[in-house]
Amino acid sequence: MKTARRPKENTELNITSMMDMMTIILVFLLKSYSTEDISIAASADLQLPLSTSEHSPELAVNLVVTRSMIVVDGDDILNLTVKPDPENPGVSLPAIPDDEKRGQIVTLLYDRLLEKAEAAKALGANTGVSELDFKGRILLQVDGGMPFSVLREVMYTAGQAQFGEFKFVVYKGRQP
Amino acid sequence: MAVNRRETATEPLNLIPIMNLVTILIPFLLLSAQFIHLAVIDSTLPAIAPPQAQEEMEEPDKPPLVLSLGITQKGIHVLGADHVLFPDGVPELGEGEEKPPTVPCLSAGKCTGTLDYNWAELTRMLAQIKDEYPDDQNVILVPDSNVPYEILVHTMDAARADQENPNPDTGEAKLLFPFVVIAGGAI
Repeated sequence: MKTARRPKENTELNITSMMDMMTIILVFLLKSYSTEDISIAASADLQLPLSTSEHSPELAVNLVVTRSMIVVDGDDILNLTVKPDPENPGVSLPAIPDDEKRGQIVTLLYDRLLEKAEAAKALGANTGVSELDFKGRILLQVDGGMPFSVLREVMYTAGQAQFGEFKFVVYKGRQP
Repeated sequence: MAVNRRETATEPLNLIPIMNLVTILIPFLLLSAQFIHLAVIDSTLPAIAPPQAQEEMEEPDKPPLVLSLGITQKGIHVLGADHVLFPDGVPELGEGEEKPPTVPCLSAGKCTGTLDYNWAELTRMLAQIKDEYPDDQNVILVPDSNVPYEILVHTMDAARADQENPNPDTGEAKLLFPFVVIAGGAI
């Protein structure tokens, strides 16, 4: 008596579609692969503005001014306060606390930046490598809504601490 | 009589090594993929020598250009180039009348945001000044204390190059005043 044979089931995994997807993703990621010398910590307190500038950032002391604090190379320096805007009633703007300032100089920031400047000079002198010489460069990552009064005090303090070459970090792009 | 048939077995393509490679590469590339690009805008302190040395003017009768942009919440004042922008003379002010901004806000009164500043008009005026002083590349920014930082960046962009009117030969944006010095203090 003949018995009906069950047709052999094909149990091989068809990975053609997955290969398709992986190849396309791989090509796209290879195209967008790039590295930057600096990194930013995106947060609600730090929204960098857009700019059409084409200059790439270089390694330098990283000074971050968010809506709530000032950070130098990852170390928290001081917290910002808020003050009413005299020209716009009801509006508050970030400000550096008065007790943290000596005139236009922000004391804690000045001390830290001066330490960085002295360390960089010592490094350049000890190694004798011209690329490591202190050039007074500082990268400024500032929130877009920061009033110029805070930026002015920060820049003045950095200038007094021997940093005279400012590089404002921005997102590359065309403004609407 | 049975006929021996040689069955030519075609082996399927072994994709496992390729899958290996792709599976390892993709997480690595995803971690290092960059979808936002950073740039920097250079600036120096006013106390340091300006980056562009002024060459001797060919026309000694032409006044030297010290271009400043005063940024306020009511608009932007273009200072140091009245003889270029107003060849017939600066409009006279009434008694007690405050000098209006050279580039006022698009809406009446105070500018309500970055889009309320007339960047196109500012760039047009700076291009007009650049036509008179093609060798000058410095500009001094004097913002008010409560002007937001992003307005400062927009102003630097408007002063750096004229994106709307590129050079017809090279296709590049016309360079205006790319060297920026930020000065503190109100106008």
